[in-house]
Amino acid sequence: MNNIYIYDGDFISLLNTIIYLIKKNRKPDNIKSFEYTPTLLDNTINLSIPRNEKIIEKIRRQFGKYVLRILYCIFLSEEENKELILFYLFKNTLKYQNQVLYYRNLRCVSEGMRIANYVIHESHKMKGFLRFKELENHILYAEMEPTNNVLFLVSSHFQKRLKNEYWMIKDTKRRIISIYDKKNFYIVAEEELKSRITKESKDEKKIEELWKLFYKTIGITERKNDRCRMNFMPKKYWKFMTEMRDEL
Amino acid sequence: MKMDLQEKLKILADSAKYDASCSSSGSNRKNKEGIGNVATSGICHSFASDGRCISLLKILFTNCCIFDCKYCLNRKSNNIKRAIFTPEEVCTITLNFYRRNYIEGLFLSSGIIKSPDYTMELLIKTITLLRKKYHFNGYIHAKAIPGANQKLLHILGFLVDRLSANIELPTENGLKLLAPNKNSRNVASIMEYVKQNQNKKYVPAGQSTQVIIGATKESDLEIMKKSEDMYQNYHLKRVFYSAYIPINKDNLLPTLEHPPLVRENRLYQADWLLRFYKFKVKDLLDSKNPNFNILVDPKTDWALRHLKEFPKEINTCSYYDLLKIPGIGVKSAKRIFASRKKITLHFEDLKKMGVVLKRAKYFILCSGKYFTKREWFKKEFIEKNIILEEHLLKKKNYEQLRLF
Repeated sequence: MNNIYIYDGDFISLLNTIIYLIKKNRKPDNIKSFEYTPTLLDNTINLSIPRNEKIIEKIRRQFGKYVLRILYCIFLSEEENKELILFYLFKNTLKYQNQVLYYRNLRCVSEGMRIANYVIHESHKMKGFLRFKELENHILYAEMEPTNNVLFLVSSHFQKRLKNEYWMIKDTKRRIISIYDKKNFYIVAEEELKSRITKESKDEKKIEELWKLFYKTIGITERKNDRCRMNFMPKKYWKFMTEMRDEL
Repeated sequence: MKMDLQEKLKILADSAKYDASCSSSGSNRKNKEGIGNVATSGICHSFASDGRCISLLKILFTNCCIFDCKYCLNRKSNNIKRAIFTPEEVCTITLNFYRRNYIEGLFLSSGIIKSPDYTMELLIKTITLLRKKYHFNGYIHAKAIPGANQKLLHILGFLVDRLSANIELPTENGLKLLAPNKNSRNVASIMEYVKQNQNKKYVPAGQSTQVIIGATKESDLEIMKKSEDMYQNYHLKRVFYSAYIPINKDNLLPTLEHPPLVRENRLYQADWLLRFYKFKVKDLLDSKNPNFNILVDPKTDWALRHLKEFPKEINTCSYYDLLKIPGIGVKSAKRIFASRKKITLHFEDLKKMGVVLKRAKYFILCSGKYFTKREWFKKEFIEKNIILEEHLLKKKNYEQLRLF
């Protein structure tokens, strides 16, 4: 039988579970969120560990901001065994402290860094490729469908950049929306905000046409290079990009 | 007749597109009570059909010009439609695009209308409006107009993140031939002034310039020498190289079938070697080899000519030696340098660190081991293999391209 430990689905509860397992010297076959559907060979164990939020601060102090960021980014990925990788990475972090990420010969470090970089790169890409529309109620509204769960990272970017605007960003795959009220942003389920997503404002089409015109004009015909464009801007992102939708 | 915004944007973006620069990095303007901030790393918002990044709204204020540079679309003697924005129009487009996250900021350049001073005043007026009235804190790159009063350069520098003045042609002769109204001293004096005054408030992202490749007969050596000089003397952040595209017919201009894109690519690669890899132009080119090898990149070419310095032992050679190995970049060199203090590195570890092993393997040892039999470490063998790999890659790319 495979021993599968179950956690609440968020970062803090995963860390709490991992630390508990390490303390008790248990070796999980895997760690999964509560949404996991067990197979016939799985023996699921729900530890119901009391939630300890101080763990974040503790990791930051003991191992540094960078290690915490990498751990969090791994958690945001869609990698199948991310929890198990985090388990081994954390175990090694206790051993090597803030130097752990230099041990690239360890599989959990090299794999963990690969996954974290993928998440960081994708969130950077989304910061550029995201397209807002202005709605009738003057709220800016954007949709995206990233492979990884980068809504939090993307939202903190726009919190600084579009500080004096109301905006909403929807992750259509995960059906969650981040909403910003000119102070903080909150991530909620799509259903709670459905009524706020109104029609586009009356100038929206005009601005979109202006942007599409700029996009078409700025490319140099003599240097046309579809392959290069696709490398930098994969097709999976085109669906929500104003200037690319027509080319799909 | 009044022109609408659509038509103006079309004309003035079309005339601006040959400027290569579109980077938005190096500054870190914060969002005070307004709209926008600058991401230090720079952000690409889209990629044009030619594969170049679109980060800034790249437009000319006007394409009217009193100059008659042979290579330029906007030269006085061309019979094309002319347009001019108003400062408010530029602000409207910039702000509306920025709010929707289409762009990272504005790149405002201009043809010379009436006089350099008059043109520069128009740019200042527009950017002041954007910064002061609309509290725009996004990235702004403006063109400094050669020949304008230094006082204007002073004002403009405090409003923008980056300034640039294009030298366009690497030698004085080339300039005399193709851009008789331009004077290289004017460009140099702008660069000198910006260098003297640059700080966190004045042109925080530094200055850049652009050189056209292939419109005149200069060799790569002459171009790179000029770049090296400018990096040293004026602390430029970037020199952009722009393959010449024949827009105008003129018997002083060469007739090219295709723009020299591979050559442009080699110059960029070499430019990186100068800025981040501690290479000097004299390492890469000399009067016997004044042009880059089209078949392999400049670093590999250098390594093949200096094979006696190789193979280098990954676990012990210095950081600067790591940088000289083809297939190892700045990031992977740093990773290797940090990791090898803790562990001994083997070939399979290098792959995990982002080393391009298929290139690097010919030039390195890992704890004394070569990737294949040691007696194959010979110039003929390595050169043949690398060129073959490049060729196969191109062929593969070509075949994939045909699927679309």
